[in-house]
Amino acid sequence: MARHRIALGSGAPILGTYQGVWPGISALDDGGKKAGPTGSVWIDTNTGFIRAVRAWGDAALWVGNEPPAKTVVTGARYLQAIADAAISGGRWVVAFDSGFAARLHSREADALSDWRRMGALLRYFEQHPEWRGMQEYGKLAIVQDPANGGLLSGGILDMIAVKHTPVRPIPRQHLTLEALAGATMAVNVDPASLTPEQKEVLRSFARAGGELLTGPPGWKDPTPGKITLEKAELERLNDIWRDVNSMVGRRNLGVRLFNVSSMLSNLLISGDAKTAVLHLLNYSDYPVENVAVHFIGAYKHAVLTSPEGTEKPLEVYSTEDGGGVDIDKVSVCATIRLW
Amino acid sequence: MTRREWLAMIAAAPLLNAAVPEVPTAPVSIAKCASYDEDVQAKLATMFDQLGGLERLVRNKTVTVKLNMTGSPGQRFQGLAPAVTHYTHPKLVGATAYLVGKAGARRIRFVESSWATAGPLEDVMLDSGWNVRTLQSAASGVEFENTNALGKGKRYSRLKVPQNPYMYPAYDLNHSYEDTDVFVSMAKLKNHATCGVTLSLKNCFGTIPASIYGDTAGVDEPNEKPVNGRLAVGHEGRRQPSKSAPQELHFGANHDPGYRVPHIVADVVAARPIHLAIIDGVESIAGGEGPWVRGIRIVKPGVLIAGLNPVCTDAVSTAVMGYNPRAMRGTAPFQTCDNTLLLAEGHGVGTTDLKRIEVRGVSIEQALFRYDS
Repeated sequence: MARHRIALGSGAPILGTYQGVWPGISALDDGGKKAGPTGSVWIDTNTGFIRAVRAWGDAALWVGNEPPAKTVVTGARYLQAIADAAISGGRWVVAFDSGFAARLHSREADALSDWRRMGALLRYFEQHPEWRGMQEYGKLAIVQDPANGGLLSGGILDMIAVKHTPVRPIPRQHLTLEALAGATMAVNVDPASLTPEQKEVLRSFARAGGELLTGPPGWKDPTPGKITLEKAELERLNDIWRDVNSMVGRRNLGVRLFNVSSMLSNLLISGDAKTAVLHLLNYSDYPVENVAVHFIGAYKHAVLTSPEGTEKPLEVYSTEDGGGVDIDKVSVCATIRLW
Repeated sequence: MTRREWLAMIAAAPLLNAAVPEVPTAPVSIAKCASYDEDVQAKLATMFDQLGGLERLVRNKTVTVKLNMTGSPGQRFQGLAPAVTHYTHPKLVGATAYLVGKAGARRIRFVESSWATAGPLEDVMLDSGWNVRTLQSAASGVEFENTNALGKGKRYSRLKVPQNPYMYPAYDLNHSYEDTDVFVSMAKLKNHATCGVTLSLKNCFGTIPASIYGDTAGVDEPNEKPVNGRLAVGHEGRRQPSKSAPQELHFGANHDPGYRVPHIVADVVAARPIHLAIIDGVESIAGGEGPWVRGIRIVKPGVLIAGLNPVCTDAVSTAVMGYNPRAMRGTAPFQTCDNTLLLAEGHGVGTTDLKRIEVRGVSIEQALFRYDS
């Protein structure tokens, strides 16, 4: 079904949509890389949408979009599409373009190799069901209404993610002081949609020392059925983004990542808060080397795992925020477990 | 034209300003270094020895090294690490720290005015894929400072252009450029879209803080949170720097970046003398200074160049790139700009006359790597 028709909060064990963006670094018409409103390389992703849906409950979410037509899709792009959904707890319905399907049908070596890598990546996430049970973590919360732009791709949630700031979405309908527990900053994208009780929750949050950023009035829901923003809405979100960027500065709101301009991440925490998991996904055609991760908290141990079978203990060193680890290389996807 | 014929031609080219024939000269060392996997430290040590040794320059001194980390570290060419395209390489940085420390420096401060931020330089280094902890442990007393704003200083340092300034009578810079005994410019061997080449001289355009000279600089006072580059003030002269700083001498007279930037650079290097120039030409790009310039391409000149006079070092480096270091505007690589080297020579900083520069180690002819080919 279309995104806006998904029965959020219905208790259904499985949710699905055919609407998704094709994940990857956004390219300009001339082949150059598109810099997003954040000034970073812009990454098209479904992660914000998936996280917004999963903020309503633990239903299994499937995204069934297909590769773009008339485009050469490399094996790496399929891996990125699979992991784009999986790092946020969703699943992508593997769907090939006709060219790859034909090459796989004729059992071409490259296609078979890509197929095996896809299998390994899918197994990697399916062998860790505990990841889907963990909570999104971050000291920045974003309050948004799924019925009013909160399920879009390329919205403020994705903008913040592209800047590698951990953020957890809170549906307006679930906004309570308990939902904001642990947050030190909150962004209220659409103030007009809040009930008086919800506004009071945010006032209480601010009175207790939380930093609150409220978007300007005038938010207009894009035409129902659309999943990305029109130019006018993007410009409005740019204004909010600049304010968010200024508010966050270089503070560590869970984790700070370095040398990750072509990557997205997702930070999860266990129910007892003793274990954290950080997923890293590289959307470029090249491996990323020398990634640094600075996290808050007193984790003493860290292990790097990857779909290629890596399981490597990492040295944890002290930083101004807490601890840090360095990663030599990320091909497509890697996970750091901290405890 | 053979290499030998070409060198003979550029050495015979007339001086721009015959009135300044006695500008200083100093030897320049060239070494071949095919990759950063080679022993960069050993090669650099040999080069410093060829220049007379580091110890007499740095013992018990504070040494400030201006790096070249132009543009955002997230903006990359073909997904490559910035250090193998347009940034100075951290291996060269680490080797320099080690050797300067070994020679007895009391403090080694690496500086750069990071693009569009006043945050810690360490953050930018990490975002570039550099291992800051390794650099810090290369020698005792290693520090880092982002000079795009006030930084760790309490006030800006006003550095005056000694005589006949081209653009500004003085420049207000981060304290690091004054609180030092030795100033090193560590640059990349590159073309530059505005200035033809960017070497140890042009690298110093990056000393001017965006807090005062940036597009978002305050009108009256510096903006300690700059979020943009320096186009409006430096490149185009569309606005003055913050009023707290010395103002442009002939504001409005010229808006051509090809005139303005070379003249500002010549002023800055006269105001803030460079004691040691180090040029990273191991791996680089040709056709521009960063990924934002269309038409750039990867090059591997495989050379390191160092010298005690920045104009001499840049003259030799320009020749290694296959250009005449005394070429006038209209001639490659200065097709649309004035020649920064000649302007610095006009300020008496150093000579561009290859006949007056002693090259040690590998010859220009042996190191020649034509950037325009």
